[in-house]
Amino acid sequence: MISRIRYMFREMWASLSRQLTLTFAAVITATVSLFLFGMTLLIQRAFDNQLSEWTGGVEMIVYVKHGASADEVEFIRAQLDAQDTLIDTVEYCDEACTYADAQKVFAADETFLDALTPDIIPSSFKLKPVSSSSGDALKSLKDLVTQLPNVIDVKTPDEAVAVLGELKSFFGPRTLVMALVLLFASALLIWNTIRTAMFARRREIEVMKLVGATNWFIRLPFMLEGLLQGVVGGVFGSLALLYMNQDWTGGMEAIDSNAGIKGFVVTDGYPWWVCLSMVVLGAFVGAVGSGTAASKFLDV
Amino acid sequence: MIRLDNVTKTYSTEVTALKGASFDIAKGEFVFLVGPSGSGKSTLLRLMNRQERPEKGAVWVAGRNINEMPDSKVPHLRRNIGNIFQDYKLLLNKTVFENVAFALEVIGRPRHVIRQQVPAVLDLVGLGGKQDRFPDQLSGGEQQRVSIARAFVNRPLILLADEPTGNLDPATGEGIMRLLDRINKTGTTVVMATHDTRIVNMMRKRVIQLDRGVIVRDQARGVYE
Repeated sequence: MISRIRYMFREMWASLSRQLTLTFAAVITATVSLFLFGMTLLIQRAFDNQLSEWTGGVEMIVYVKHGASADEVEFIRAQLDAQDTLIDTVEYCDEACTYADAQKVFAADETFLDALTPDIIPSSFKLKPVSSSSGDALKSLKDLVTQLPNVIDVKTPDEAVAVLGELKSFFGPRTLVMALVLLFASALLIWNTIRTAMFARRREIEVMKLVGATNWFIRLPFMLEGLLQGVVGGVFGSLALLYMNQDWTGGMEAIDSNAGIKGFVVTDGYPWWVCLSMVVLGAFVGAVGSGTAASKFLDV
Repeated sequence: MIRLDNVTKTYSTEVTALKGASFDIAKGEFVFLVGPSGSGKSTLLRLMNRQERPEKGAVWVAGRNINEMPDSKVPHLRRNIGNIFQDYKLLLNKTVFENVAFALEVIGRPRHVIRQQVPAVLDLVGLGGKQDRFPDQLSGGEQQRVSIARAFVNRPLILLADEPTGNLDPATGEGIMRLLDRINKTGTTVVMATHDTRIVNMMRKRVIQLDRGVIVRDQARGVYE
């Protein structure tokens, strides 16, 4: 068993070193395609993070007149609580809390923000409608709440969120398609590398078959070669992605916290999962590319 | 050891390599296949190690009909058959030792077995001191000896030799034949395709003569004619 493993790795290494240029090209293609694939996943996640930052799960904000008394605020709360078929949760946010939130949520609405100053800032209720609420139901809820005493405005961050949603749906599928096309190219290149390697070693393969080597024994070093190319592409792509993500996150930290786009980063453990999936996908693409070539061109 | 029952092999509708060939070869026999180029000698050898399959008839090796053998079993069949070629088919980037060891390595023999068996078989073929040389540092006869060592290192039941002396001068060819005769005397069945009249006449072994795919003579202790 050990001698077989030693043989396979030795033959794989010999084959790799014999055609360095092709190997290099296959690894670079795998690196670029897997990097693009990983970047697609990170961009999607960053969009999700930004959307979550903007909405915070809140879909409607009811602004209460600055200086409203506690009884007046409680009256509004009671009215909102009564709409339990439409509203899931109601959360009160005092004036300081409202001011901080408004800076983030309406960062894109300069006119609105300009009108807000700490001395006139209203307090607010954050409403989260029940998930089954239709657009019409939300509109009638908005109309109803607007008419309550001491309510000065009802805002939904829909527009900004919709733009972000559109951007996400524009970039997501396109980068994913590009990544998949490149992954296919990378599998083809690995396939071709293995085909060339097998042609270069056709005499050895002929001898191996005649002395009784099994097809799997002949194929495995070639499959390992392709798998290694895919894995190395995945590792290089992951390193590039981690570096880029770190660079991007550092740049975003330096941006004014009121710019409203600080959520457009991925800072949890997600990038590591993306890297792991890149390496696994690289191994898969490499194994499939080399495996099909090794099976197809075994009769050399 | 080897039996052919009414074997026909065609390469296309116009080229019939073998027509209704039938014979038995017993264990330990030495058989020459003779005939002009294109008479079907090499095709017969290729049928015996399942490089080819016949259109009609059956090829039996060591008691098994190898035409009906599943592909997965063919490597195990070939471990019992050594092959020798006119052009040696040596790997030029490997030393003599490595060329012979390769045959054991690819069927998963452990290292200590390889270290033991390769020098022994190299001594047997008369290449004891040349195990570190590369094929291009050897004469034609020596290269053929390496090829024989590689074919015999696994102690196969059968040796198939396709024109093993075709590229060698008469004296070197005789040396190769003496070696094959020694191997045959260990109980290994040897089937050799040749059109070397002098060697066939010298050895006086069984001769199967082919002409355009048909067996026209099967003679014990025969000559070339």
